Amino acid sequence: MIKPMKIIFYSLAILLFIGPVFLLVLQSFTEVWQFSAGQSLTFQLDSYSTLVSDPNIMEATFWSLVIGACVLVINLVIGLLSGKALSSSSFKGKSLLEALFLAPILIPVLAIAMGLHLFMIRIGLADTWTGVVLIHLVPTLPYSIKIFHNAYHQFGNHLLEQAEILGATGFRQLHTIELPLLKPAIRSVTFLTIVISLSQYAITAIIGGGRIITLPLVFFPFLQTANTSLMAAFSVWFALLPFFMYLVVELLLLLLPYTRKPWRNLR
Amino acid sequence: MNYSLDVINLYKKFGEKKILQNLQFQLGQGKSLSIVGPSGSGKTTLLRILAGLESPTHGTIMLNGKNVTHHKPNKRNIGLVFQQPLLFPHMTVKENIDYGAKMAGQSSKSKTADLLRAISLNDYADRFPAEISGGQQQRVALARAIASEPEVLLLDEPFSSLDVQLREELRYWVKDFLSQQQTTTIFVTHDLEEAMLMGDHIAIFHEGIFQQLDDADEIHKHPVNPFVARFLKSHLVIDDHQYIPIQSIRSRKPEGEHRSYTAKLLHWTYTLGQKTGHFYIEELHETITMPIGTIGLKEKFSIYLPLEKIQFFQEAGNRK
Repeated sequence: MIKPMKIIFYSLAILLFIGPVFLLVLQSFTEVWQFSAGQSLTFQLDSYSTLVSDPNIMEATFWSLVIGACVLVINLVIGLLSGKALSSSSFKGKSLLEALFLAPILIPVLAIAMGLHLFMIRIGLADTWTGVVLIHLVPTLPYSIKIFHNAYHQFGNHLLEQAEILGATGFRQLHTIELPLLKPAIRSVTFLTIVISLSQYAITAIIGGGRIITLPLVFFPFLQTANTSLMAAFSVWFALLPFFMYLVVELLLLLLPYTRKPWRNLR
Repeated sequence: MNYSLDVINLYKKFGEKKILQNLQFQLGQGKSLSIVGPSGSGKTTLLRILAGLESPTHGTIMLNGKNVTHHKPNKRNIGLVFQQPLLFPHMTVKENIDYGAKMAGQSSKSKTADLLRAISLNDYADRFPAEISGGQQQRVALARAIASEPEVLLLDEPFSSLDVQLREELRYWVKDFLSQQQTTTIFVTHDLEEAMLMGDHIAIFHEGIFQQLDDADEIHKHPVNPFVARFLKSHLVIDDHQYIPIQSIRSRKPEGEHRSYTAKLLHWTYTLGQKTGHFYIEELHETITMPIGTIGLKEKFSIYLPLEKIQFFQEAGNRK
């Protein structure tokens, strides 16, 4: 017998997640449906061919992937190290430091980007993809640090001390204990970082100077069109990127030791 | 003599607070020492220093003749079982046991299988820690520590998170298990009974030093100072120099020379099936616990201390 909670969960998931995604995908493959006129659905691929024929789409997809991947890797490294330090050490001014780590999301990122733009011009980082990666760290790193801090706090120092006493070196401790236990945090950071990085229009335009084209820069001009099928196709294309990155990260996580492979989890 | 563990003048200070004050003791191969003392006395800090998780302010720790004072925890062959089992939640029981051995480069399937059999959990080898009980988890933690073949094993109140019945069962099991493995052990507890059961010798720890280190008989027969006598709860401390064993206190006036005091009944309980009273001796400001027996449930009555039974504390220092 299915429990009532399960029914509620599946109903909400269908209503709020699967349903809208299904409609979006359906819309991208059909012409605009005028159900009031009694028309049936007409399938088409024109929206995708218009999308692919845009001269900037491939370049924008490539740069979005490269920038997203770099932002993710830097977030993982800095987030993990800072999260661990915040969770395991105790020192004067720790609360202040925690507040400072969160500060970038309290100030409008546009203000930071405009301030940094001059600095980046001076050091030659303006109009480069490296500059865009650095500016994308501003709205992403505070979340990553917070997520890793909480994750380390959750499994506690004693577990790591236990591994050390059993003879694990710092690297083996990271490889065999920390990373496997941080999987949920890594997944959250992956999604959050990629989605935030992919959504940055203004700061990418300012620091990239129009030379670094990412998907939002291509996407916004499309907003002027009234073709909902084309918009839906673009949205599906847009959504495939984080999904692809998530798949890559999931495959990499499978390489970690003590991972239950999906086909071993049948018990 | 080459000891498994030789602790020389160990001193630790946190700010102005002295935790260890020139602590000194030795432990031979296969011996077990129980360290017992009130909560917050610094027992756990001592174990953390021995394991390398904290560094001493000064002093030396020798492990089988080798100075390991400044070695990292993963570079000194000392095992530590914490109050909580701290099993790695993403590993199965078998993988947990094998982990320490693997890190030490001493992993073998037969050793893991032997340990699983020894802790009677061979049927649970592929279970995850969350799928076994608290007592089973603590056994796995112990097997994991043993698997890395430590030169000295430290146990920090490993049964404190278990219920009374399970704790008692595990005590005997662990005691037998460790003596079979011939492991040199330091067992920390705040429970005197547990300390007597688990250790060949008992060290009573207070104010950063071992107030007395001896076997259970000697400690009970000759407590060296008022703190030890009070901690044992088997003596009435008369002053800083004299005490009397509780079984020598009389409720009827003895014929010989004696002292008498007034005892006030605070409350009573049952201990080992016997009605036991908790009394306050007004003149001495001491509280004692003794069988009610022939006294009866009177609110106030006189107790008599035969002079020939009164003994003097003989400070012996740290002995072994």
